[in-house]
Amino acid sequence: MKLDHTQPLEYSTDQNQLNILGFWIFLGAEIMLFATLFTSYFIFEGRTGSGPTPAEIFEITPVLIETFVLLTSSFTIGLGVHAMRLGRKNAMLTFFGITLLLGLVFLGVEIYEFMHYYHVGATYQTSGFTAGLLTLLGTHGAHVTLGLFWGLFIILQVKKRGLTPENANKSFIFSLYWHFLDVVWIFIFSFVYLKGMM
Amino acid sequence: MKELFPAKQVMGLVFSLVLTLVALLVHFTDMSFAVGMTILLVTAFIQAFLQLVVFMHAGESKDGKAIYTNVFYGFIIALVTIFGSLLILIWDM
Amino acid sequence: MEFFERFAVPHPSPMIYASMVAIGLVVIGIVFGITYFKKWGYLWREWFTTVDHKKIGIMYLISALLMLFRGGADAILMRLQLSSPDMEILDAQHYNEIFTTHGVVMIIFMAMPFIFAFMNLVVPLQIGARDVAFPRLNALSFWLFFAGAMLFNISFVVGGSPDAGWTSYFPLAGNDFSTSVGTNYYMIAIQISGIGSLMTGINMITTILKMRAPGMTLMKMPMFTWSAFIANVIIVFAFPVLTIALLMGTTDRLFATNFFTTTNGGMDMLWANFFWVWGHPEVYILILPAFGLYSEIISTFSSRNLYGYKSMVGSMVLISLLSFLVWTHHFFTMGQGALTNSIFSVTTMAIAVPTGVKIFNWLFTMYKGKIRFTVPMLYSIGFIPLFTVGGVTGVMLAMSAADYQFHNTMFLVAHFHNTIIPGVVFAMLAGLTYYWPKFFGFMLNEKIGKWSFWLLSVGFVLAFFPMYITGLDGQARRMYTYSEATGFGPLNLMSFFGAALMAIAFVTIVYNILYSIKNSPRNIGNDPWDARSLEWATHTPVPEYNFARLPQVASSEAYWDAKKNGHKLFTGELKDIHMPNNSGVPFIMGIIFFVAGFSFIFALWVPAVIALIGIFACMALRSFELDHGRHIHVKEIKEIESQYEGGAK
Repeated sequence: MKLDHTQPLEYSTDQNQLNILGFWIFLGAEIMLFATLFTSYFIFEGRTGSGPTPAEIFEITPVLIETFVLLTSSFTIGLGVHAMRLGRKNAMLTFFGITLLLGLVFLGVEIYEFMHYYHVGATYQTSGFTAGLLTLLGTHGAHVTLGLFWGLFIILQVKKRGLTPENANKSFIFSLYWHFLDVVWIFIFSFVYLKGMM
Repeated sequence: MKELFPAKQVMGLVFSLVLTLVALLVHFTDMSFAVGMTILLVTAFIQAFLQLVVFMHAGESKDGKAIYTNVFYGFIIALVTIFGSLLILIWDM
Repeated sequence: MEFFERFAVPHPSPMIYASMVAIGLVVIGIVFGITYFKKWGYLWREWFTTVDHKKIGIMYLISALLMLFRGGADAILMRLQLSSPDMEILDAQHYNEIFTTHGVVMIIFMAMPFIFAFMNLVVPLQIGARDVAFPRLNALSFWLFFAGAMLFNISFVVGGSPDAGWTSYFPLAGNDFSTSVGTNYYMIAIQISGIGSLMTGINMITTILKMRAPGMTLMKMPMFTWSAFIANVIIVFAFPVLTIALLMGTTDRLFATNFFTTTNGGMDMLWANFFWVWGHPEVYILILPAFGLYSEIISTFSSRNLYGYKSMVGSMVLISLLSFLVWTHHFFTMGQGALTNSIFSVTTMAIAVPTGVKIFNWLFTMYKGKIRFTVPMLYSIGFIPLFTVGGVTGVMLAMSAADYQFHNTMFLVAHFHNTIIPGVVFAMLAGLTYYWPKFFGFMLNEKIGKWSFWLLSVGFVLAFFPMYITGLDGQARRMYTYSEATGFGPLNLMSFFGAALMAIAFVTIVYNILYSIKNSPRNIGNDPWDARSLEWATHTPVPEYNFARLPQVASSEAYWDAKKNGHKLFTGELKDIHMPNNSGVPFIMGIIFFVAGFSFIFALWVPAVIALIGIFACMALRSFELDHGRHIHVKEIKEIESQYEGGAK
């Protein structure tokens, strides 16, 4: 394996560079995936059938918690990558750990939110609107869940095998994924919740 | 300890929080739909861009150009799809 | 017993029972044959676990040919049913199932793997790379495609085929009107192979952007690589739309959601919208690599460089953007206003411009060239006028006001077959003949090949041109019969004869392959066609590592320059070559996806959950796995190289 020491560890081999570019292209596909979900949500927003309307079911408090938690986690994983570039393994692991914890909090609040919807009669089957909403939120939530496992695996690997070029590469790519989920959430926060409560 | 908190990223966080608070004005103050949507559009896109540049280091490697092209291509097609579909199924149906 | 009743075909006929028996016998025959000849180990080592882009390409190729015959059998049955008024070979339900599976098989399981076959076989060689960027992902893509294809193909003997058309419009495709599991097959089989396509897209883009030989800038890439690049860009941005649409369709059918229903706020038209947001770019995903193949072939057999390289590239980039801006033209009659229809009419007509540019470039490439009328060239020359007819009728359909007359008639059917058959199928057959020697070490017989070409072309014209007329006269598509009073009889009979000729043409192609395996000379050298780009610069058949030394490139026709202008392609010392390890995980994941898909189709939740856990377990395993690949050492390379030089050349 040829190492290029002029670059950060995560870019140091050819395969690492391929992985990073490939993941960016995957994120391009993810943009379209979420765009499709947003399209359907916007179409369904006013199509509530006999079910509740957006303004009737949205609550600002859980949404605010989710937003600030996810925003902070996007910051901490950025710090994690920064620590990794300084070669500070323990600091990096701490930041990654904090990120995952915040992710877990986000997920917990989201589950609470879904239960709330269920109780006020907005289930998956209720109307076009609820189906569109829950699929958009659910797809994002599923991404976060997957990210929790993925991040955990990476922490374990860094612990066990240290900051190798491979692990650095995986960690960096995971950080891209996590930031991207935050970007998606910004749009959900703005154009689902705030617009819906306006 | 200080070296673990680079100014660029801290500023990024602060700016994100500010943008979020500005967006929240839409909820907590009384404004027209048009003004509200304008605020949301502006704050959301600035924040997305901020994440891309400050946190995701999109332009740092020599593939930066390809990465930006990829993301903007995606954004353009996403917007075309969203607004095209709204045009077809709501505004002009 | 009750449990097994769900697997029964809801609408059986002697033909279906015969197919069941035939499928059973073939499967037993294959398993017995492999066991008898003790080939399981060989298959596992050399094919099931391979990550070599060439072998994956060959597997795509074989699958595509098989699916071509499956789809072709559907087509012949349809034409037979319509060959004269009031025929009773198929009833309405069977006719519905057959046109549905014909469409899906031909687009998703024939044309897609065909283009993936050529991308896999040719792109790494053309850019002077040793493999694709993510070889194991590439294998996974193939096995997902294969799992999807097999899942879709068992539908007509297990549980019933989809019958809502290849577009599967809701509410027809909803539970109320499509009560069998057929449409579940549609949703899930396409989903699985679609995930595979998306991964191929990511893989190919990364490969082309990052793994080109030294000196090969973007504007020095061979045209097929450019076309593959653009097609994969379209894949990456179009397929996620399909993913979501299929997901919604699936939850509507399995979990009673209200996406595409007509009650409780559901919006059936959204399916049509999403389907075509994906569906129109999909057309260009198929046609662009075909254009790329034509570019290679026309330039090779005109013995000239490709005319207008930059305008070729520019037109493809433009097509890739425009392809996302035209989708409404598939449903001008759905009820949206004149403003929308006008906008999409204009964008649709605009797409004819870059396509026209390409047509003229091919003509100018041939102009004053020394044309050799080989089989690949015949297909390419046949393509130009036939495809132009298809393009011109496309512009007719693009006029939204006129489309109210053409919509859902045989005119439309004639139009899209007129673009896809000369556009894509001819290109695939041309490419098959052109690249066959590179990968199998012998040429296909030219004389039989020319017979196939003429049979196919004449058959095509006879089969599809009459549909333009019957369509304008009002024959609707997807109508399983018609009365004599309509007067459609004679022209439909003509179509049947055309379809029969096409069937004969495909049989001659198979005969050609068998004949050539037996009779073609094996000493054909590396460059039997006197071609121009890098794939011909390496040995035939291609060694595992493609190139012993990576080529130095200075133009888009590096090999031609090396042959004629003294350009040095291969310089420097041999070095150890790093290659990826084989892996059985992609194959196993394919099987698990198949099981998961099957369980979802029949709403068998326990196996479905187990299979999903299996999929995530495979992913977790991959995360923890350390795999640094292996090295082929210089000594070994020298041995392999000397075998090529010492052997028949």
